Amino acid sequence: MGKEECKTMLDALNKVTACYRHLVIALGSTSDSQNLREELKRTRKKAQELAVANRTKLTSLLKDKTISKEDRAEYERLWVLFSSSMELLEVDMKRSLEIGQDFPLKVPTRHLIQTGMTGSTTTVAARAMSVQNMKYEADSNIDTADLRDLQSEITQVSQMMEEMEMKVQVAPWAVEAKQEAGAELKSNMSVGNSSVGVISICEEEPKEEDGVLNVYIATCE
Amino acid sequence: GRHFYPKQHRSELEAIVVEMQDPKSGVKGSEQKLNVTAIPHVITGKDIIAWIANKMKTTPEESNAFGTMLVAYGYIYPLQNHKKLVMCNDTSLYRFQTPYFWPTQKWVAEDSDYAIYLAKRNIRKKGKLEPYEQAHYNHLHEWLNHKWDFIVMQATEQYKAGKERKKPDRVVFDCQERAYWILNRPPVSVCVCVLLCVFIYTNMFYQQAIMRSKVKSSVSLGALVKYITTYKNHDPFLAPCLPSNPWQTDNDTYWTLNMRRVDVPTKMRVERWSFSLFELLTDLRGRDDFKIFLKKEFSGENLAFWEAAEELKWGTASSMSAKAETIFKTFLAPGAPRWINIDGRTMGLTVKGLEHPHRYVLEAAQTHVFLLMKKDTFFRYLKSPVYKDIQKKALNPEPHNFSPAQLEQNAQNRSPGIHPIILWQQEEEEKAKAAAASAPVDVKAMMSKIDRKK
Repeated sequence: MGKEECKTMLDALNKVTACYRHLVIALGSTSDSQNLREELKRTRKKAQELAVANRTKLTSLLKDKTISKEDRAEYERLWVLFSSSMELLEVDMKRSLEIGQDFPLKVPTRHLIQTGMTGSTTTVAARAMSVQNMKYEADSNIDTADLRDLQSEITQVSQMMEEMEMKVQVAPWAVEAKQEAGAELKSNMSVGNSSVGVISICEEEPKEEDGVLNVYIATCE
Repeated sequence: GRHFYPKQHRSELEAIVVEMQDPKSGVKGSEQKLNVTAIPHVITGKDIIAWIANKMKTTPEESNAFGTMLVAYGYIYPLQNHKKLVMCNDTSLYRFQTPYFWPTQKWVAEDSDYAIYLAKRNIRKKGKLEPYEQAHYNHLHEWLNHKWDFIVMQATEQYKAGKERKKPDRVVFDCQERAYWILNRPPVSVCVCVLLCVFIYTNMFYQQAIMRSKVKSSVSLGALVKYITTYKNHDPFLAPCLPSNPWQTDNDTYWTLNMRRVDVPTKMRVERWSFSLFELLTDLRGRDDFKIFLKKEFSGENLAFWEAAEELKWGTASSMSAKAETIFKTFLAPGAPRWINIDGRTMGLTVKGLEHPHRYVLEAAQTHVFLLMKKDTFFRYLKSPVYKDIQKKALNPEPHNFSPAQLEQNAQNRSPGIHPIILWQQEEEEKAKAAAASAPVDVKAMMSKIDRKK
């Protein structure tokens, strides 16, 4: 059914947008590398594919005059989800262009900020691409050539969003969210794996994975 | 295609930060050892200040101030005492912020991003946000309610994506994000409640504004186009006045032909009466013509009432109760000589209001009567012999064609025109004549009489 397909595609777009955000934050820092640039490029292209697919699907659903009122409200809600994702993605694309230009890689001396972040972002990118491992193509010009592509892609995305606003008459503020306050706490990942509070250091032995987080925060706070 | 120009320069402040963090020539960093992990690039306040003093050749106090500025702007953040954005000249620990979170005028810290951050933090803290964070969260949940599904989804996904990083990087990322939001949404202990009240109030206002029925722009623009199409030939800026524009040619025939009480009006004027009842009634010459029609139809009471209401609106305050009484007796009382046929509800409200009359007490009734005339009488008038007759008789003056010499002469022959007092006297005479001649009573004349007496 159209709705389910839509939701799946939106989930995918949402996931890719979230991963892209993580990657952009690493730009210009000591985690920055050729690999990161390539990860950004691939994630971004995937995001755009999903964006176009979502837009096509949703516009056709919304154009259908025969749908029921409930269905229409639901599609409008999905539309708001979609356009919110796109807004975030567009901003991050613009930022990645700026920061990418500010911190070129193909220079005699790189000036990547020593932020304390040094690890790779491969697993984040793999999550975005829904693959087990990333395979990289060595391209030493990635930071310049890709930035050119990025500029034109940003224009494309902006144009797409303008068209969206013109063609689809959905009032975002009229949409009612399904999720209540605190809904994120019910997410199945947040239970169990999330770090125990600061207090627990004194009490029991926290799990090794989370222990570092707590101890570090404790020393910082 | 587009050219790619690498940014050759950054702001001076950014340039200093880039130098300050340089592994060779910058502030010496160390590692933060925690259990089995180590997080690099940690620097102390005193080292930063010493470096600044050396680099910029400033005193320790100035360097300290500069350092605090870097923290206040968000280029560097403290690891201990993270809410206090100052540089301490001691072994306090700091780290450089990632460029994405650097201050920039171009990218404002958005509410929706903050909401996503708080939702992520909510997950991490298992619902135990700090009071000020909880206040922000609740406010944003209301303010951004329509986007809340997106916020929850994005927060959950960002949280999951973050877990893909290695432990030390996850820690660093959390500190970076936290530092960014401490700066952009500082904890406010006292004023939050007040601010929240303001936000909620404005939110309610906007919600009500949204609830009001909206007109589609296609409709309102359509109305505008219709208006322009109708009036464009009557606009003296867009179309020529006939016979000529007095301001341009110094010949005032145009004004003379369009005076209040001309026998024969101009064609343009008569055409304008057909645009709407409002135009017909506003032009007193048009109203006269309408009255002629109504007299033939024996349905003049609506217009008479409408005029009486106008007299009440524009008349003196002292004459109001007398007028109200006359109006009631003439138009509204059961069995009144010129009883107007308005709906029961409006009649009831009006009669009640007349007990304590004020300028606008007849507003509802007047509007109702206006609509009655507009929907029925007005269109019959336009189709009537009266209107067709005046259309035929109406003047269509030939456009003037003055030579420059003639224009000069016109300018020299300018006269002041009829004195307003004379015009007013003429007006009063006409009204008196009409009052004497017509039966039933010309209410307008009577009302003006009451006005003058008071």
